[in-house]
Amino acid sequence: MHEETKLPENLRECLSKGVLKRLPLTFLPFVNQQLSQWNHLFPNERRSVERLLLFVASLSSEQSEALFRELVGIEEKMEVRKWHFSTSEQTIQNSSQLAASPFFQEWRRAVQAVFDAADEHASKTAGSAQTQANRLVLLGIPRALAVDPQTAWRRWQGTGRALNIAPEGRNSTQSALEFLLAGTPGALIDPSSGQIAGSLSESGAVAANAWVVDAGRSLIDALLAANTPRAHDDSAILVSYTRLEAYRQNFSHEMNTMRKDLADADAVFNRLRQVDVTRWCPAEVSGKTDLSEFLRALYLSGNGAVIFGNSFVEWAASEAFRRARPTFLAAQFGVRSKPKPFTGVAVFDNPDQVNPLPAVDDLPGSAIDAQMLALYVWLAARRFEEYQRSTVCVCLAESIAQAYVVAPPEFQLPKQTAPVTLEQLRSSLREWIT
Amino acid sequence: MKYEVCPAAEMGSALEHQLSTDTSRRTFLRAAGLLAAGLLVPQARADEGPHANAGSGHKLVLVVIGGVRRDETFSAEGLVNIPHLSANLLPKALFYRHVRNEGVTAHFNAISSILTGNWQHVDDWGKLAPTTPTLFEQFRKGLKVDRSDTWVVASNKALTNLIGASSDANYGPGYGANVVFPKQLMLQAVADALRGGRTANMADRSKVEAELESAMEGSNYEGLGWNVFDASDRLDPRVRSMVQTAIASFVKGSGPTSGDELTFFMTREVMRKFAPQVLVVALSDVEAAHFGSFSLHLAGIRTADRLVDQLWQEIEVNPDYRGKTTMVILPEFGRDPDGSSTNGFFNHRANVDSTRDTWMMALGSAVDRPQIIERPIRHIDLCPTLAELLGCPPIAGMGAKLQEFHG
Repeated sequence: MHEETKLPENLRECLSKGVLKRLPLTFLPFVNQQLSQWNHLFPNERRSVERLLLFVASLSSEQSEALFRELVGIEEKMEVRKWHFSTSEQTIQNSSQLAASPFFQEWRRAVQAVFDAADEHASKTAGSAQTQANRLVLLGIPRALAVDPQTAWRRWQGTGRALNIAPEGRNSTQSALEFLLAGTPGALIDPSSGQIAGSLSESGAVAANAWVVDAGRSLIDALLAANTPRAHDDSAILVSYTRLEAYRQNFSHEMNTMRKDLADADAVFNRLRQVDVTRWCPAEVSGKTDLSEFLRALYLSGNGAVIFGNSFVEWAASEAFRRARPTFLAAQFGVRSKPKPFTGVAVFDNPDQVNPLPAVDDLPGSAIDAQMLALYVWLAARRFEEYQRSTVCVCLAESIAQAYVVAPPEFQLPKQTAPVTLEQLRSSLREWIT
Repeated sequence: MKYEVCPAAEMGSALEHQLSTDTSRRTFLRAAGLLAAGLLVPQARADEGPHANAGSGHKLVLVVIGGVRRDETFSAEGLVNIPHLSANLLPKALFYRHVRNEGVTAHFNAISSILTGNWQHVDDWGKLAPTTPTLFEQFRKGLKVDRSDTWVVASNKALTNLIGASSDANYGPGYGANVVFPKQLMLQAVADALRGGRTANMADRSKVEAELESAMEGSNYEGLGWNVFDASDRLDPRVRSMVQTAIASFVKGSGPTSGDELTFFMTREVMRKFAPQVLVVALSDVEAAHFGSFSLHLAGIRTADRLVDQLWQEIEVNPDYRGKTTMVILPEFGRDPDGSSTNGFFNHRANVDSTRDTWMMALGSAVDRPQIIERPIRHIDLCPTLAELLGCPPIAGMGAKLQEFHG
């Protein structure tokens, strides 16, 4: 955590000219934290911080004052300077104070206005336009999770169409995503090269450009078993809830030592931000500091990522879209256990430790969770411009042999009326992202 | 000491924002954290049992059920989750279809706003008391009522016993309510069993009761966050007896074992032993949503729906309550909409109708006829309405009395 920060030259230059002094107080925790964690940010995040700071640095002092005038006024009304407010990093106490302020919503709108201005500036800057590569979001609800064919896609509100999947001869123990990603030749991950979806690696020097997230471990195990050395390169991210058990358990154990007060919460949070996690990382994560730091942030930000595999998948995918904007993301959901009697829901770091009753699968509950969270993964992608046009989303519900496909018109497969085999689907998807 | 994850899940929540199109802006506003609430101020006795009612003699049972969206409750598709509320209770209820939470949509602030009739902007984690007098204080001070006539029984550990009284210098803890957190007792019992190497007991209903009682009887009540202990941290004998009965009902029944179930049994025993005139019940099984399990969230809604119905049944058969009680049920807030940058149903901090626009149902003595009110009202309108029902002297506040309630 104490390695030298490798900021780009243009950013160092604007920092040396004092750009941070122009920023309102409530911007500083975020900006300082991003700068201090620069080495662990994904390229997309670095671009974003650069865009903001270079924009502010490009302004005259009058323009800068005008840009922040509203926000500074709100900070004064909030009396931020009287708070115990960290400017070096985001803290729970900072969050609590901001959220409790009657001016919180006003403040949020003012923050958005600043970022909108930075975006607008960036969009006018030559070279900032991004090429629109075709993208793919692949979601899998395994056969064990029975979904109701009458309501399976209701929440998708007609944004795509259901496609029947024809029976075919794949190994019955293999999930559809395993077949698509790590199956026989033709898989979206090529065993000979280890590249995800072939062409991705041609642009694939881009770090964290392809993600596979698994609520269990079978999908990641299959990918690793395919002996794909390139799966370990920086372009491919493989994360499995189950394979991360040591990381997760150690983290939640630390959380559970926390006393019940705000100061201690921040102290524990700080400790968890700094603890060496490499010893807890499985092979596919160790050595990738951006990924191990991503997981640290993921676990610290709640949303059930430490507790339930399906929540982990949803939140990891959502954060991957937000932070890394991958071209390809596959997410496989799984089964969670029923809460054990007298322990409440997800209260302790290890339910098996506090209650020796055997864990019992909650298949109906897991199916409901997976259906909702699969939609949420897609909705998380859709919030970002990169996924609003040339992106195909396929959600496979194996129990009803259907896929729901949301795709732009140029993606041909959904226009077929006959059932398609997984091989045909794989071929179309491969073509789409190649 | 273990912490309860539900409020912890809230942490990360405070600043997750709606701005979604840029990495920086989202990260900027996101704070993660691991927060558990709990100021531990043993300060009061449960005191006496049932006695003559003060003021108007009216009794109130207010049930607050955490964050639930209209989509999963009073909507065409949500009714399946609330069969008791919609089929049993609605036909005899005064129902407000739109009840706005215009304050902070976090647990402590939401409930303290409801209880004070003023939007509260205090610490989200119950570190600070509400700044204006609660209904309990108005009732107790205005009508010289004993503490045992005002209770809060809460599952949600984002609350602390500071929910029972304000920091207003003219009121304060001397006029506050008894506050108990039954679910915390369960968590404490599990933690104690874990520490003592007795986890096998938690798999055996016959031994769970002993573990729960042991947690209650232990010398260190700090983790419970209750305020019904005396200065030497000793539990009032009548409270002890009440809790023991509630635990026995909870453990020996064959029913579910969630925190809200224990809260229900404790509430029922408080009603039977103390018959308080003002009783506030906070249910929180629905907050499983913070962990991303939609099915467990729905299960929490169904549990709340069933327990509310059982509470109403208790009111109708309990002679201390029958015919003189108004029960009010409302969510603290909704939850965020699908597709929001705040991760949808997981959280409740988006500044949109899905999070702010909820409903409220009133049953019993203050309801002269069933009706559905379309006019939007606010959470803060409830406190002055209930205060008037109780016969409290009016005090200034942001909320306005609801004319449809009749004393």
